[in-house]
Amino acid sequence: MNDAFQKDCLEILAGKVERGEISRRRFTQIAAMVLAGAPLALRAGGARAADGQLVLVNWGGDALKAYDAAYGQAFQKATGITVKEDGTGPTEGAITAQFKSGKPTWDLVDADPFSAISLGHQGMIEPIDYTVVDKAKMRPGFAWDYAASTYFFSYIIAYDAQKFGKNPPTGMADFFDVKKFPGKRSMYKWGVGMWEAALLADGVAPEKLYPLDLKRAHDKIAAFKENVSSFWGGGAESQQVMLSGDASMGLIWSTRASLLDKDPSGQVKFIWDQGLISPGALAVIKNNPGGKANAMSFIASTTDPKKQLVMFDMLGQGPANPATDALIPADQQKYNPVDPANMKKQIALDMPWYAENYGAALDTYTKIISA
Amino acid sequence: MRASAPRLASLLLLGPLLAFLTLVYLLPFLGIAEWSVTLPTPGFGQYERLTGDSLVLSVFLRTFRICAIVTVVSVVSAYAITYVWVRGSRLQRSIAELCILIPFWISVLTRAFGWLALLSNRGLINAWLMGAGLIDSPLQLSRNEASVILGMTHVLIPFAVFPLASAMRAVDERVLLAARGLGASRLRIFWSVFLPMTASGVIGAGLIVFVFTLGFFVTPAILGGGRSIMVAELVYLRMFQSPDWGLGAAVSVVLVLIVGILMALLFRLARPALMGSAR
Repeated sequence: MNDAFQKDCLEILAGKVERGEISRRRFTQIAAMVLAGAPLALRAGGARAADGQLVLVNWGGDALKAYDAAYGQAFQKATGITVKEDGTGPTEGAITAQFKSGKPTWDLVDADPFSAISLGHQGMIEPIDYTVVDKAKMRPGFAWDYAASTYFFSYIIAYDAQKFGKNPPTGMADFFDVKKFPGKRSMYKWGVGMWEAALLADGVAPEKLYPLDLKRAHDKIAAFKENVSSFWGGGAESQQVMLSGDASMGLIWSTRASLLDKDPSGQVKFIWDQGLISPGALAVIKNNPGGKANAMSFIASTTDPKKQLVMFDMLGQGPANPATDALIPADQQKYNPVDPANMKKQIALDMPWYAENYGAALDTYTKIISA
Repeated sequence: MRASAPRLASLLLLGPLLAFLTLVYLLPFLGIAEWSVTLPTPGFGQYERLTGDSLVLSVFLRTFRICAIVTVVSVVSAYAITYVWVRGSRLQRSIAELCILIPFWISVLTRAFGWLALLSNRGLINAWLMGAGLIDSPLQLSRNEASVILGMTHVLIPFAVFPLASAMRAVDERVLLAARGLGASRLRIFWSVFLPMTASGVIGAGLIVFVFTLGFFVTPAILGGGRSIMVAELVYLRMFQSPDWGLGAAVSVVLVLIVGILMALLFRLARPALMGSAR
């Protein structure tokens, strides 16, 4: 197979994707499978990055529109570089697949900072260039070597207001107390934030959480799991679990809890107390097609408070730049996870701990919940 | 295999299919197999890990248990529906046809959510039971293994219907008339004549359903409440969530091997039935 032919194959296939003859997602899946073993190099991704273009991969759904409205269009006006959003979902495995293909088609990924850190240590992610990206426009402690803070969300307690409206829960101890607060619970299937919740309920002081005592957390979860009606795997599912009454309390994302809170039925409310703050970040895949410099200047463009306000309005994400907090109208501040009043009730997840330990911890957690 | 068909012609006819399967299935699979013995270090370490990994073992066991139940329930239900569809009156046939085809055309995802709408705590069934005063608090009907089995069975019945229908249509009416003429009761005709003559269809349907269920991902993920993890989801977990490509690849290879062995066994077992119904 020579390069010219490969390239030609790619042009044809990418054209097909662009004309909508194959769905991007389907195509990416097929390409990934074929790449795994076929000599025929179908090295095109869902969206093809090229000069004057950046491909930003996020988790899809409403985020596709939001990223474009908040950042993509403005960046194109300012620099002439088009930003294409792709909602494939930059899981650690997907980013690894991109990098290992030798010709990644993604530039920027909306990755968990701990994934970016761990992949960065393996040489798959570009270090963030803090001469271009302004660290001063981020909250202290949330600018990492391989990932730049872009937004925040929290794992918080959402509860059935019809059941507990008069006497709402006050923290993780109440979440794990089915005597005082009867009913089933819903927890997160992929473990993040759940170990901390179990330890807080077990009486560990917030400042003593890390490094997590996993054995203690898993024992607590194992003893409690019969009270858990479901382990939700995605945001929409967590909303559905709460609205359908399948759980009287859930540990869910604050972005989804805000949507539930705004629901006219008033069925589900939430608290910030002992919420677990989880940062979202942008990272750049090494050898990205659109070039490192363009990717860094895009990240720099996302620190603008006015743009972050759009993300808060559209997705309920808390802004990475503390200067944005003040722009949020008073009646909306209760939905901002990093608003000073809400932030002081919460605990931030320790990203470097996750970068080291997440894989093994999730393994044990999965064993326990599926046993 | 009939020797009368010229070998070249049959190869030409099969060629595109073989080429397609090689390209999109066999080669990628060989790549996966290669990962399983090279990542992160060369050797069979991942396969050793598999045998000692309680999560992998429990997921395999659960998958086979669910698949077996779903297969039996689907094939038995499909047998009844197909009987009506093939041998019923005109009206019965139309009703059966609607019952088979409408679910067949609706996406698997939509149907999984449909079951949730029916079965959840504030769902239709609980609302109706509570309205009728039969229960005081909602029953936990969804997000458990039973709802996974229900949802999967619903998806797979149509797949079992088609092989059964072709087997039933092949039954010669005159044989049944002869049996009746010789004084057999209706039940006896069914047991001794009709069922044996359609046995190959039952085995075919069972095979198709079983192999389909092994790879199910969406239905258990939605209806299982995150607890009924099956093999497909385990592979996803290992490939994407906590990247461990070597182990994920080893799980995939083991799954393909198991399917292969099962197919070989079942074909061997089904041969008499298949030969018996050869017409």
